[in-house]
Amino acid sequence: MLFLRTWSTTLTFFTPFAVLLVLWAVLVPLLDVNPRLFPQLGAVLQAGIDGISDGTLVQHIGASLLRVSVGTALAVVVAIPLGIAMGVSPTLSSFLTPPLRFFSVLAGIAWIPIATLWFGYGFGAITFVIFNAVFFIVTYNTLLGVATIPPVVRHAAASLGAGPRTMLLEVLLPGALPNIVTGVRTGLGFAWRGLIAAEMIATDKGLGYMLFVARDFYRTEVIVLGMIVIGALWLMLDRLALAPLERVTIERWGMVRPA
Amino acid sequence: MTVLLKAWSVYVRMTARWPAVATIVPFLPLLAVWWITVELALFPRVFLPGPVEVIQAFGSLTYKGILPDYLQDSVMRLLVGAAWGIALGIPLGILIGTSAWAHKALWPLLLFFQAIGDIAWLPILVIWFGYGLVTMTFIIVYTVIFPIVLNTVLGVRSIPVTMHRAAQSLGAGPLRVLLEVVLPGALPNIVTGLRNGLGYGWRALIASEIIVGTSGIGFLMFDARRAGSVVEILLGMIILGLLWSIVDGWILAPIERATGQRWGLVAR
Repeated sequence: MLFLRTWSTTLTFFTPFAVLLVLWAVLVPLLDVNPRLFPQLGAVLQAGIDGISDGTLVQHIGASLLRVSVGTALAVVVAIPLGIAMGVSPTLSSFLTPPLRFFSVLAGIAWIPIATLWFGYGFGAITFVIFNAVFFIVTYNTLLGVATIPPVVRHAAASLGAGPRTMLLEVLLPGALPNIVTGVRTGLGFAWRGLIAAEMIATDKGLGYMLFVARDFYRTEVIVLGMIVIGALWLMLDRLALAPLERVTIERWGMVRPA
Repeated sequence: MTVLLKAWSVYVRMTARWPAVATIVPFLPLLAVWWITVELALFPRVFLPGPVEVIQAFGSLTYKGILPDYLQDSVMRLLVGAAWGIALGIPLGILIGTSAWAHKALWPLLLFFQAIGDIAWLPILVIWFGYGLVTMTFIIVYTVIFPIVLNTVLGVRSIPVTMHRAAQSLGAGPLRVLLEVVLPGALPNIVTGLRNGLGYGWRALIASEIIVGTSGIGFLMFDARRAGSVVEILLGMIILGLLWSIVDGWILAPIERATGQRWGLVAR
């Protein structure tokens, strides 16, 4: 029964895409659209097959994913301890909230010009942009998460004899986890956009670069292929990894407040 | 120690009286650290100019009239984009929220097209519309519309069905249900969506100005990058941060709070 239900929801989820694809396959040749303006479905498929068989598409995807993972991992590793350390003290956290908010507003894209100037074009600049997009948002959310743990819980743990280590691992970290995960999800969303923008400007590999170069030659089939890949990758990352993770942490550790 | 405590108590009392102080003072240590780093010459001055240079750049760019012009361009683009986003997004959101059919047909597409992200549209938009206002407006509308639609749907669906039935049994036609039940009921979510959307739209605007712009704050920063002038890049970043903090903190957040209090379905 469960299988059938998930199967039919999957079907209803993908039907609109099928309709869209059919429309595309029929309308574009029918209206005789200039392929320099919008590609035919076949051309895009061909571009995809070519890209996979000669390895360029795989290389671009690999480069983009590597940058995102390195930047995000670095940012998360630095941001969580920092956020917890600052969130422990209410005075410090309320004092630091405005600057952190200011920097999370700047997240990602606004750092591109200065990043390229500081690090030159290439891996360093792009990783820096991604790091910034994730770092400030995760720090801010961690701080918020720690600050919203009810003092009662911390006092209870302390009076039951919890040392700093136990306090950190069993109260502060789990208590802040739902916020941390939300922060990572939001931050990654900005980082992904920032990545595409940065790759258009500052590198010679990656999905953003692939799109931007294709534009110079009016190769719309490559552009559309790139857009589909970007959308599908993010949708998979967000729906299959981040959103379930967020739901699970909130169910497991979220503070369900009694009314 | 006592001096520090005295200073702290003065600060706490001031923040209680003027909350704005609490948002400004925390930046002072940051400024001090910046200043000291520059004075110590840890990095070449070309790479990291000090606050004074940035303020001077602000002065000269304002005096030349470049900065006000660019600022006006950026803000106008955002406003036009937001207006279109609202005009298209709210009806679409209400349609998807109220009709199960529209939901089935459009929801997956919506998620996918949101995932493509504004920036990825830039190359093909440049082919279609060239460098210019249409491209940028399209990007902003595209960015703003998704949070608005998704949140409107959420808002419409969160209205208890009893509200619809109550209104209908009291004789309300479809139009009145729409105007007096659905729209007000969804309004808190719509405003939240608008706030998120503008946040994304603002960043998308900067990105598109950096890549295809001929004016605006993003263009200012990228032009400065080309000339290697870190001062103007920093100035641009500070203006971006300040402007958005002001718009978000003093305009959007209060509106969100007010609609939440007025129309939110919070049991009192």
